Amino acid sequence: MRYPVLLSVARCLWARPAVAPARRHLSCRSPPLEELFSRGGPLRSFLERQAASESQLQVRGPELVAAAKRLSEKEQELQETEHLLHDENEDLRKLAENEIISCQKEIAQLKHQIILLLVPAEETDENDLILEVTAGVGGQEAMLFTSEMFDMYQQYAAFKRWHFETLEYFPSEIGGLRHASASIGGSEAYRHLKFEGGVHRVQRVPRTEKQGRIHTSTMTVAILPQPTEINLVINSKELRIDTKRASGAGGQHVNTTDSAVRIVHLPTGVVSECQQERSQLKNKEMAMKKLRAKLYSMYLEEETNKRYHARKIQVGSKGRSEKIRTYNFPQNRVTDHRINKSLHDLETFMQGEYLLDELVQSLKDYADYESLIEIISKKL
Amino acid sequence: MERWGGMLRVLLSVPGWRGGTGGWAFSSWRHHLPPAGLSATELVNKWTAVFEKEGIPEARESSEYIVAHVLGAKTFQSLRPALWRQPLTPAQLQCIRELSGRRLQRMPVQYVLGEWDFQGLSLKMAPPVFIPRPETEELVEWVLEEVAPGPCVAEAQGGPLILEVGCGSGAISLSLLSRLPQSRAVAVDKGAAAVCLTRENAQRLRLQDRIHIVPLDVTSEGSWAHLLPWGPLDLIVSNPPYVFRQDMEQLAPEIRSYEDPAALDGGEKGMDIIERILALAPRLLKDSGSIFLEVDPRHPELVGGWLQSRPDLSLQLVAVRRDFCGRPRFLHVRRSGAPDGCPVDVQPGPPPARAPG
Repeated sequence: MRYPVLLSVARCLWARPAVAPARRHLSCRSPPLEELFSRGGPLRSFLERQAASESQLQVRGPELVAAAKRLSEKEQELQETEHLLHDENEDLRKLAENEIISCQKEIAQLKHQIILLLVPAEETDENDLILEVTAGVGGQEAMLFTSEMFDMYQQYAAFKRWHFETLEYFPSEIGGLRHASASIGGSEAYRHLKFEGGVHRVQRVPRTEKQGRIHTSTMTVAILPQPTEINLVINSKELRIDTKRASGAGGQHVNTTDSAVRIVHLPTGVVSECQQERSQLKNKEMAMKKLRAKLYSMYLEEETNKRYHARKIQVGSKGRSEKIRTYNFPQNRVTDHRINKSLHDLETFMQGEYLLDELVQSLKDYADYESLIEIISKKL
Repeated sequence: MERWGGMLRVLLSVPGWRGGTGGWAFSSWRHHLPPAGLSATELVNKWTAVFEKEGIPEARESSEYIVAHVLGAKTFQSLRPALWRQPLTPAQLQCIRELSGRRLQRMPVQYVLGEWDFQGLSLKMAPPVFIPRPETEELVEWVLEEVAPGPCVAEAQGGPLILEVGCGSGAISLSLLSRLPQSRAVAVDKGAAAVCLTRENAQRLRLQDRIHIVPLDVTSEGSWAHLLPWGPLDLIVSNPPYVFRQDMEQLAPEIRSYEDPAALDGGEKGMDIIERILALAPRLLKDSGSIFLEVDPRHPELVGGWLQSRPDLSLQLVAVRRDFCGRPRFLHVRRSGAPDGCPVDVQPGPPPARAPG
């Protein structure tokens, strides 16, 4: 626990119910972010200092200062309007109610804008990504769970209207999955999925268990951002492409059907294979996609590790060994250990729709929150 | 009880069993039994062993493709786990048995399945029409690379007009058309089976409106005249027969006994059809039009020498590209300007205005 204080603050914030009835619809954003804006809180004083400081010292320049100014104005306006709620004139009260609603809407938007201005977008947020799932501890049961997880992400991609293409799929004998990878693309795909990387743990009575005992098994998810052409340039001379046609005359002289392709990146020794398709060219394209993602994540690793050193939500290989989530079937609950958030109704969760989306959103918000804390404390 | 059923099931599903009496038994077993019969993996292993014993090349691959195909997948890799554990129906087992029987006769897997993939397309395959090789996918990639940024092509109405000589299953023309939505193609082949198969594949891919398929033998005298109304062309693409005659005997039984030798045999030096295409090209191509050919690794030098001996054609070998195994495999030949000594009757005076569309 690197930051016990931060953690306990977060816990207490998560547990806190929505603040006041009149402000309820503001709680659509997550509690910690909302709390940061409380009067006299660290973010407030940060924004005030920003407004006071010379323009070159300002973190996000005049845009942030303007938004902060507008926020205080609107809050002032809200406060003043709230007095009118107790007015004798009913028409005036009605008017005030409407005014308050629009005021609150604008305040929420301004807060959102301030967060966006403060939290730096990651270079890779808009990129496509490679999803890798691998069965961990627990034999066949772990493989069965891995298969369910892969399906969940496939359905989540459909739910988000992303493009999903299976690159490799290694099933186990009884219908489980040893390892698989897929290419996922679409609006902010990486931004949403980057927090899924890590060890996922399942607790339940396996289908294969005769005595009715609860087992604990694991599987690992890795999320690798897909580099664009500009992000990563690979010299073709550094690649060795292996196919089964390497010996003999080739061309019209032979008719082989093994279309598997294996690409080795010679400087790093990173290997990528594909035999998903009957077309050798397609297999090569897919293997190349995977290789690029692997190399890119290696390249990003150092930077990422530096940047997220202090964070609880880890992205990249450092996070891959971290146990991030438990799927407890007997209790019908899924718990994310990083933000200590539990959701119920596992069956719905595993359908990869709004419940998973809710958790993903919470993680994103929490990461934004951590990022904000970092920025604020740096500037103290 | 369950165990006995399982064992019986295994016994009943071995090849050679021609069942007909066990209808009731099968339906009731299916309800009560776990999938203890032969799984897809076990079937693959079984047929791999059979193929290996009979000396069939690519025993495991063949077996995997056949089982996957019968289960509705393209590759064994891409089979869904549900299909992995589902017991195969007697009809599926029978189908696998039949297809494997053909493979035992050394029929190429692509003919056994009746289809194969080329670029992103699934194409119907039928003997004796030549089966496209993976190298040719790279030829298509190269053509696409060269065509994409070309300003001269963009100016042409709706993309390049392409001629393919020896279209076979239609793989080259159809993959080009599917990637170049503005383009049109003329595909010729002297084999009636090839013409039919290209037509069928074009219809399956809904590309029939942009391809004109002509039965035509480019070696017969004056045949090119039939193509004149289509010209002038932007591109000629071909994977012509280029196997040296002396090599024909050494081809694997899959090729020798099933594929049309006319699609492979390129004459003594494998140059017969290549020379023919190059000789015809200047009459059909527009100025600075291109020819892309797949050839034998010995051909780039032979073609370069031959073109030097025929300056009247005004053709230049502008690039040679290697295939994924590093062999010089593809040629880009370009027509350079108006040929001086070209037959005068082809394009008298200025080139005729192109018919729209």
